[in-house]
Amino acid sequence: MPTTRASPRPDPVQTGDFGWICALYELGQTAAAGADPVQAQQHILNHIVSGLDADSGSIALVVEGTLDQLEIVAGTDLPPGVVGSQLPRGMGVFGHVVATEQPVLVNGNAAETGLPASFPRRDDRVSHSAMCWPLRIRERIIGALAVNRNAERPKYSVADLDRGQVLASLLALVMANHRMHVERDRRILELSALNAETKRINALLGDAQNQVIQSEKLASIGQIAAGVAHEINNPIGFVLSNLGTLQSYLASLFGLLDAHLAVDRARGAVPTEAIHRARALRGGTDVEFLRGDIDALLAESRDGILRVRRIVQDLRDFSRGGVDEAWDVANVHDALRRTINIVRGEVKHKASIEARFGDLPDIECLPQRLHQVFLNLLVNAGQAIEANGTITVSTGTAADEVWVRVEDTGRGIEPENLHRIFEPFYTTKPVGQGTGLGLSVSYSIVQCHRGRIEAESEPGRGTRFTVVLPMRRPGAEQPSLEAANAGAT
Amino acid sequence: MSRILLVDDEPNVLSALRRMCMNASAPPALDDPQVTVFTSPVGALDYLRDHPVELVISDYRMPGMDGATFLARVKALRPDTARIILSACTDMDGIVRAINEAGIFRFVNKPWSDAELKSTIADVLAHRALLAENRRLADEVRAQRSVILRQQLELERLEAETPGITQVRWSEDGGVLIED
Repeated sequence: MPTTRASPRPDPVQTGDFGWICALYELGQTAAAGADPVQAQQHILNHIVSGLDADSGSIALVVEGTLDQLEIVAGTDLPPGVVGSQLPRGMGVFGHVVATEQPVLVNGNAAETGLPASFPRRDDRVSHSAMCWPLRIRERIIGALAVNRNAERPKYSVADLDRGQVLASLLALVMANHRMHVERDRRILELSALNAETKRINALLGDAQNQVIQSEKLASIGQIAAGVAHEINNPIGFVLSNLGTLQSYLASLFGLLDAHLAVDRARGAVPTEAIHRARALRGGTDVEFLRGDIDALLAESRDGILRVRRIVQDLRDFSRGGVDEAWDVANVHDALRRTINIVRGEVKHKASIEARFGDLPDIECLPQRLHQVFLNLLVNAGQAIEANGTITVSTGTAADEVWVRVEDTGRGIEPENLHRIFEPFYTTKPVGQGTGLGLSVSYSIVQCHRGRIEAESEPGRGTRFTVVLPMRRPGAEQPSLEAANAGAT
Repeated sequence: MSRILLVDDEPNVLSALRRMCMNASAPPALDDPQVTVFTSPVGALDYLRDHPVELVISDYRMPGMDGATFLARVKALRPDTARIILSACTDMDGIVRAINEAGIFRFVNKPWSDAELKSTIADVLAHRALLAENRRLADEVRAQRSVILRQQLELERLEAETPGITQVRWSEDGGVLIED
């Protein structure tokens, strides 16, 4: 009758086993260092099989997330396909050991123990004596280890089973450690994949945000297109007209010149006819008037062309900022002046724009983006005014911040709407007069500067928007220009 | 004489238009043009109260009052004055109001072509002169008609007093034929 026995507390490890234990520890470290887990487990098993002077062995581990589902992770003399396969629950010696949490010594034919075989063995290597230990970490069974001796070898004894128990404890630690490392690596891989995905989605969001800002900018230019056209067509109209007039002035002057040249050329014998013609032309041409008017005409035309050039430049500056705008050191007043220039045509028939600029230092900002904020505020102010209004743009500094205030004398915003104005797509304007994105985009642009934007309004009296921006971009280094200036003074 | 009133909030536009109207060497020459300019519609209305003109040309977008409102007032004040809007603004509401409320003759876009604008002005002035001539002729006809009417009444009175007296028949040699 084969003996099966539950072991008492194991004997202490013998000093001669230290070299073997160190090797086992090293194998565990190699496995933890990221070696191929299947190979690493196989190496560990081979080490154990030789350490226990066995002929073959196998390791089964509880599958992650289950209590007793076993998977063969390493084995010697096993038919192909067994390593990596899962055992039916409670099946065989392994199943028994894991279920009872007790080591087992089997001497003789395994079939006679009453325990069904865990997996098929090669017929020529029938086990003669076998030991099987549960692998335990803190009261939890993580798997089992089995070693076998063939028929021609001495059988294992209970003492062997007890000594092996110590090795099994060590192996459990190594396996758990190994498994933890594998798990950690998997998590790290998962996390970095997740991280990459988050980065990708963030980039997509950033692109989308930039596109929204860009399209909002185009839409706001659309709001002022009629005014800009007015501002351009007016000067073009009078310059073109002046050129036509100048042409006919010059025709008269050259006619007069030709007649006088004809008289001059004839000298001695001037035909009276030529003299009469010259006199008649001079009589019909008010040379003094032409002299004065041509001067005025040219000055006015030059002024008109300069105005067209300025507004086209301002528009170009406004629309130049692409998707990736760079931080720059710029004066807010420049941005404000340009924006006022391109908005003036849109509002001048119903409101005057008053600029009360304080003394502002240059600040670190995204200048084109700030144009967009100011344009939105000015267009809104203009749209709030029916007639005979005033838009006041004032600036100033407070501590290490600059502020820009745009006030209108328009219809104002009802208190119940005031807290919604920065929401995307919120608008009270009629179709075609607003996208509902102007203030929401302005808000995010100001936030991007780590600044703030505030609105106060009194229905029927007007609205006041205040944009506060830090002078220095938070977290950025001092610009080298500043450092150079500081060094020079 | 062609009295023309120009209104635009842009002084350079006014200068250019004045030059264009006054420049006789660029055809069509206007008949003795007298040009008055205003940068504000309110000032122009004040002026119009005491000074009749043949034609008013106004911008549309101006501070204080838009061109349609201004020309509607001009129409109420001086119905015979021809009205033109010259504007860079193409908003449909403005054009509709200018036509319906101010009864404008033409809507001219900025930038304008001198030749076109000037011949439009010449046409409008000619049309207006024609209307004035028409009215003068109609007045004349009416006056003549009243003279004729007076003669007719006298004849009727004579006939009533002396029946047959208006039925005089003349002989070939100038004698009066009296029937028995």
